[in-house]
Amino acid sequence: MAGTALLGRLTWLGATVSSVVPETPHVHTLELDVPGWPGHRAGQHLDVRLTAEDGYQAQRSYSIASAPGDGVALTVERLDDGEVSPYLVDEAREGDQLEVRGPVGGYFVWDGDEPEPVLLVAGGSGVVPLTAMARHRARVGSETPMRLVYSSRTWDDVIYRDELETLGLDVVHTLTREQPPGWRGYSRRIDRELLAEVAWPASEHPRVYVCGSTRFVDAAADGLLALGYDAAWIRTERFGATG
Amino acid sequence: MEVRDLKLDGNAIGGILLELFGAELTAAPCVCGGCGAREEVARLEVYVGAGLVVRCPHCEAVLIRIVQSRARTWLDLSGTASLELGSP
Repeated sequence: MAGTALLGRLTWLGATVSSVVPETPHVHTLELDVPGWPGHRAGQHLDVRLTAEDGYQAQRSYSIASAPGDGVALTVERLDDGEVSPYLVDEAREGDQLEVRGPVGGYFVWDGDEPEPVLLVAGGSGVVPLTAMARHRARVGSETPMRLVYSSRTWDDVIYRDELETLGLDVVHTLTREQPPGWRGYSRRIDRELLAEVAWPASEHPRVYVCGSTRFVDAAADGLLALGYDAAWIRTERFGATG
Repeated sequence: MEVRDLKLDGNAIGGILLELFGAELTAAPCVCGGCGAREEVARLEVYVGAGLVVRCPHCEAVLIRIVQSRARTWLDLSGTASLELGSP
């Protein structure tokens, strides 16, 4: 059986877009029907390959947004000079075909069977794999304390804004570019001072997952280390500037 | 775009390593041939250009280089002292 699962992960699988859900003006979720999908863990990603009529191929990695056992959903942000993301966000429609390979990753994953409290730190679309973890926690009824610190540019850029309030975890927003009238949340970049107010105390030995741009991840990880967190507790995943 | 925007981490090469080795390697311990530091592949620095250059986060030594075309893959592991694969 292990051999069959491995073969499934090594092979490009045909996938059909079964629905497209707008999340923000720049971000859409694509739900995929993937016959032969071997299943995934919360936090993993997959590779998407597109083939043009002339045979030209382009390939990118995207985090899986859905909880394990709940199908395959990708949430994709359009990068204007990207090669794949503009198609996935603007053009992909129900019934479209693409190829996927995966799941990929055995490091940036949370299976929900450890007792330590979990801190999720998200920059922009870095929230996607972290939301898979939050959805997994809700789906299996885990009582592990989980807190999400989520940095977005504006309130309209917050992905999964309504759903995050329903998943039973603490959510702390910071809006770095523009805040709605009467905003009472944070309005600055994530740094040591902000983390000192919202992160679990180091004495609780939390498990930490940080996902975002390289700049964001480095700043958040440095802030946590300054608060006395052990580097071994902090798992990071950096997003690229090409998409 | 700045140079640091091209810097990612070892999570980004999980797919290609899966293809080359037939195993999940982002959690695999990798020992630097330069300074001897042992880190999981996901913690290594990855620079994306025409190919992929993987560096040690401690001493910046080049551990792995990968260049792919449609026809072939060129893999240089000469900077890596060891890479530990678990049971599948």
